[in-house]
Amino acid sequence: MSEKRRILFTGASGGLARIIADRIKDDFEIYGIDVRPLRVGARFPGEFLQLDYQSRKVSELFRSMKFQAMVHLGRLPMEAQYRKFSRFHTNVLGTRNLLDLCLKHQVKTAIVMSTFHVYGAHQHNHLYITEDDALLASHTFPEITDAVELDNISVAFSLKNREIRTLILRPVNVIGNRIHNQISMFLRTGACPVLMGYDPMQQFIHESDMAEAVLLALNGDKSGIYNVAGEGVIPFTKAVEMAGSKAVPVPEFLKGPSIQFMKWVGFDFPKHLVEYFKYPVIVSDKAFRRDFGYQPKVTTRDALESLITGLPGSLG
Amino acid sequence: MGFLSNLKNRLIHGGLTEEEHERVSRAMTQLNSAGFDPWGVSPETLKASLASSIWLYRKYFRVETKGLENVPEGRLLIVGNHSGQVPIDGMLIATSMLLEANPPRLARGMVERWAPALPFISTWFARCGQITGDYHNCKELLERDECVMVFPEGVSGSGKTIFHRYELQRFGTGFMRLALETKTPILPVAAIGFEEALPSISKLSKLSKRVGAPYLPLIPTGYLPLPTKVTLRFGQPLRFDAPADASDSAIEQLVDQVKFSIQKELDEGLRIRGERIFTGVAK
Repeated sequence: MSEKRRILFTGASGGLARIIADRIKDDFEIYGIDVRPLRVGARFPGEFLQLDYQSRKVSELFRSMKFQAMVHLGRLPMEAQYRKFSRFHTNVLGTRNLLDLCLKHQVKTAIVMSTFHVYGAHQHNHLYITEDDALLASHTFPEITDAVELDNISVAFSLKNREIRTLILRPVNVIGNRIHNQISMFLRTGACPVLMGYDPMQQFIHESDMAEAVLLALNGDKSGIYNVAGEGVIPFTKAVEMAGSKAVPVPEFLKGPSIQFMKWVGFDFPKHLVEYFKYPVIVSDKAFRRDFGYQPKVTTRDALESLITGLPGSLG
Repeated sequence: MGFLSNLKNRLIHGGLTEEEHERVSRAMTQLNSAGFDPWGVSPETLKASLASSIWLYRKYFRVETKGLENVPEGRLLIVGNHSGQVPIDGMLIATSMLLEANPPRLARGMVERWAPALPFISTWFARCGQITGDYHNCKELLERDECVMVFPEGVSGSGKTIFHRYELQRFGTGFMRLALETKTPILPVAAIGFEEALPSISKLSKLSKRVGAPYLPLIPTGYLPLPTKVTLRFGQPLRFDAPADASDSAIEQLVDQVKFSIQKELDEGLRIRGERIFTGVAK
């Protein structure tokens, strides 16, 4: 029997990396790195190393392990503990370094997890934004520039280096009971502030569908930029209700103080998300469905209703 | 009995009869697991809004329709004349498509690009099927076999004074390119009677330019629309076969054909109706 293929996950302390790694642990030898430590009590199905993406040790890891594939999930979110500089350092320079290492050590597939946030919540947005549309996020909210830069760097890399199959995935809000991203935590808070008078449509994708999408991308043969969405679209307040929380309408002129208040009670609410509570950013995943045969299995309703408890056995 | 059944309808169906209720449900063909259509329409909000527009449609403007049997299945672009200062004509056409067309259709209107910034109203628009008037939105809707309603005259049609009533203004050409690109039939419709509901005698052009409004109508009869009798005359669907990137002059010729068929319906209707604006049926 031939040697198992090796795969590297970044952002390995996150829930999504663990879910994906769990599914492929029989076929791959799995390594995971993250600038963050593993969560207390969490287990990574493979070898986990807490490393800076620009460190010498990461180069050494690439040199010695000869990875077949890299799944780059390690984008630092916009939380207070990660200042602008550390986000720039990890998300932009770190990504650049990782992609360079992939090229240098003949990694065959690189999957970069971007986000639908890069399109930006703009008043003139049309519904069903495609991969060709402009990335407006940093115009409406300059703080998010690192996420847009990460996306841009990866797209430029994929165009320049055709010998590596590079995929840039731009998923919608990923939610699930095993992941701890901002939107999942927000919907779990019990009382969610929303902007009074605005109720934009939102898209959600369940963690298991997201994991499936990454695996489809990993095993497919196409490269490029792909939006990834879930089953349906749903108004934001309806989503909050379905997740079991209560929507608390806040007038727009009070949004600053209420963000401060949330911070004070211990929830670090990213300011840029407020824009996404005002105008819809609905993406079209037609291309991903066509090229990879992707079909979400968990409905939006099930994904939201199982946010705290998890899906019943048959689906999860 | 009539009173009791009326009360039952109001309480149970939010003011809609069972049949109207069922027609709205039939028009919503693409609902997802959360009960919304892909563009954010909620059948509940739509039904609640329909209850009030039905009153305007049946009791206030006493709308009559002609030619609704011409409504084809599948993707459809409804093109009408714009009149009457406020976009109630669009609402009446949408109501007729829901109440009287077979099968019932949700005709989606195109709203101005500043509308999404209005709190409450933007949400209500989205739940009732009003979408920002944008090339990509319109194309996506038509490609998914939806029904879109446009008024190519724009504000120069709705804002015109009573002295220019029933004179079609210049038509934009964007709708024709979209129809050609998506191979969508065009259904011309002429609204007769709404032109006199808010008879403006001046657009106050200089003042409106200064405040940035498209027009400010000066209406001697007051700003509540008069209860004129409205007739909607639907023409035969028009199908065009030409390259979507044809020259402007070629596209304008096709647009003129649409304009001509609306004008024909207008002339015919006005001839039948005469000057009886409160009682005359134009069919």
